[in-house]
Amino acid sequence: MGKVIVITSGKGGVGKTTSTANLGTALAMIGKTVVMVDADVGLRNLDVVMGLESRVVYTSMDVFEKRCELYKALVKDRRVEDLMLLAASQRNRKDDIKPEQMQEVCEKLKQEYDFVLVDSPAGIEQGFRNAAAGADEAIIITTPDLSAIRDADRIIGLLQNQEIQPINLVLNRLSPALVKKGNMISKNDVLDFLNIDLLGVVPEDTGVIASTNRGIPLVHNAGSQGAEAYMRIARRMTGQRVPIPEMREENFFSHVANWFSRNK
Amino acid sequence: MENSIVKLRGYKDGLHLIINPKVSLPEIETAIQELLGEMNQPLAGTSIHIDMRPPIFTSEDLNNLETHLTEKYNLVVSGVNVFDEENESPILAAPATHSISQSLAADNHPDFEHAHIVRQMIRSGQTTSCLTGSVIVYGDVNPGGEVVAAGDIIVLGALRGSAHAGINGRLTSVIIAMELIPLQLQIGSYVNRPPIGEKPRGYPEIARVGAEDIIIVEEFIKF
Ligand SMILES: Nc1ncnc2c1ncn2[C@@H]1O[C@H](COP(=O)(O)OP(=O)(O)OP(=O)(O)O)[C@@H](O)[C@H]1O
Ligand SMILES: [Mg+2]
Repeated sequence: MGKVIVITSGKGGVGKTTSTANLGTALAMIGKTVVMVDADVGLRNLDVVMGLESRVVYTSMDVFEKRCELYKALVKDRRVEDLMLLAASQRNRKDDIKPEQMQEVCEKLKQEYDFVLVDSPAGIEQGFRNAAAGADEAIIITTPDLSAIRDADRIIGLLQNQEIQPINLVLNRLSPALVKKGNMISKNDVLDFLNIDLLGVVPEDTGVIASTNRGIPLVHNAGSQGAEAYMRIARRMTGQRVPIPEMREENFFSHVANWFSRNK
Repeated sequence: MENSIVKLRGYKDGLHLIINPKVSLPEIETAIQELLGEMNQPLAGTSIHIDMRPPIFTSEDLNNLETHLTEKYNLVVSGVNVFDEENESPILAAPATHSISQSLAADNHPDFEHAHIVRQMIRSGQTTSCLTGSVIVYGDVNPGGEVVAAGDIIVLGALRGSAHAGINGRLTSVIIAMELIPLQLQIGSYVNRPPIGEKPRGYPEIARVGAEDIIIVEEFIKF
């Protein structure tokens, strides 16, 4: 049986959808079976980022309201095998869904797939609660800015109340040059503050916007920094021990020390 | 070397000479002689507060002591504070330098005798409180997190959120943290908002109500 992982953040625009698309694609590329569930009802865009917008016929709403079988609503990815998308309805609002409906669908999906990734909307209200309802584990996305980190802290507390475990961190849009200049909060400061395990660091990468606009996740562009980072995170998600490389500006020894302290 | 009769402590509001008044005045004077003799910096001209526990000296003894300190060491006694031994915090004998009338009025409830231990960090949106005792947190208190206690608050981590000690008015309550960079501190009804963006100082600190009824924060040293 697979597991359901909610990808969430508290603050908006920090890279939840980008991360869901890239991690889903990366996991499928290394041979896992994956469903990505867009839980951002009313503002769906996971299908756009995946380049699947034109293929969406049914949404999760049709499944919840029994207008369509679950398997029929799953959209196959155009590029990678065993990668599916369950799109969100754009006509509905977040409180049109009940947590139990989401839970039921997640429960069914994890019987069939290795990974069920749920792209959560921003905020701590109904939309977030629905997204987290069926989750076994969570990935918190944050950027290195104080408001995103504080929101992440709030979300971690809420997820812990639901006994979602483990809760891992992806630090997105880190720019080593800015950290070095003292203009950006460092990775270690973020970890010290949030006190959860680090799953990976994704650098600021101009390729992200281009890939979003083309509807081709960044991981297809092998060799780019962002793609490499997401591939490493995906491998860690499958249980492989892949070191988290320090970005150039940090020194090698803190990297080794950190690797040992954070990955047992 | 610890002098059991008198101690000298530097707080934000100046030097405090902490006296154990259970011994006679000459003994105290000898102890002061030893203490000040050990110091390599002359204190002449500085002003000090005298802190003591009951039994309180007669005003004659107090006058004699003040004269002694002024004449022999050229110290200026800027105030005498008495704190109540029975109502000391169970965790440490923090010299509470507010006046006795306040501490007696507020300290009738034994509301700080036990401690509620929180074995995890407190995150944004989470609150922990103990309305009958003290709170000890084994971790950080993050911004948006809050700790409330009738007695003391001890944070074995970074206190970045808010802490309200002595919620029922016990002004001898203290707040201690390994890193004290809070959004807000409150002891009784006194509020302290440190400047935003303060950096941790790298040592534990204690906050308590000082002589002028303001919350003072200083390095936490052994008491
Ligand atoms: N590593 C990165 N480098 C550069 N740009 C990025 C990176 N990650 C995300 N972005 C950009 O940030 C914007 C927001 O990303 P995304 O839509 O994934 O965030 P989100 O958390 O899903 O937002 P929302 O809360 O609105 O759902 C997009 O324009 C995306 O291209
Ligand atoms: Mg999104």
